[in-house]
Amino acid sequence: MSAATLEAQVTDTPSAGPAGQGTEPDPRYTFANERTFLAWSRTALALVVAGLGVVQLLPPFPGVPWGRHVLGVPLIVFGAVVAVTAYLEWVGNQRAMRLRQPLPQSVMPKLLAVVVAALAVISGVVVLVSALR
Amino acid sequence: MTPGQDDPGQDDPWDLDDPDPGRARERTSLAWTRTALSFAAVGVVVLKKDVVPGLVILCAAPVTWQLGRLAHHLRGRLELVTVTIVAVALAALIVAVTH
Repeated sequence: MSAATLEAQVTDTPSAGPAGQGTEPDPRYTFANERTFLAWSRTALALVVAGLGVVQLLPPFPGVPWGRHVLGVPLIVFGAVVAVTAYLEWVGNQRAMRLRQPLPQSVMPKLLAVVVAALAVISGVVVLVSALR
Repeated sequence: MTPGQDDPGQDDPWDLDDPDPGRARERTSLAWTRTALSFAAVGVVVLKKDVVPGLVILCAAPVTWQLGRLAHHLRGRLELVTVTIVAVALAALIVAVTH
């Protein structure tokens, strides 16, 4: 296998455009960046399924008819946000690697922590309101 | 000692004798497989409530698997995965709101 063939197999960015500038990075880093994107994509799918499960499978909260939607819909929307953000971060990381620059800091862990914590608080409020009614 | 000569963690990524340095290609292929399985799981969940969207999402599973295994040269496959997840989220949103 020639070096050119190996490079062609791991090149995932067009030769033109922001992500295609610079030189091809170490293929192991390219693969690692791709695996990170895929891991976040699976997280996004899990969020979507969780939201759908909350809305469709949970029994209604007594006295809080909107409770399931308040919890489930943000999870589904956040799943889409995570998918798009994961792609944008993959592009940013790929560009940084090609230009031999430091990798940009990821906002995803903080974003996920804040949203999950907020949804936990909302869940507690919904359960409390349901119990009091 | 020449840097990288005796350290297996510092091997030359362009070493022509090693077509899969650090098993990176294999690990990435497995990550694609897990992602395809995730699509299948979502498809089954949606299928229980809505047949057509469920089947469409189920079809995304083998496509994703193929993208990971055979289409390393194909540009835009990550964009395709992103667009598919956003479409799945939109379908889930419609199912959640209307059913």
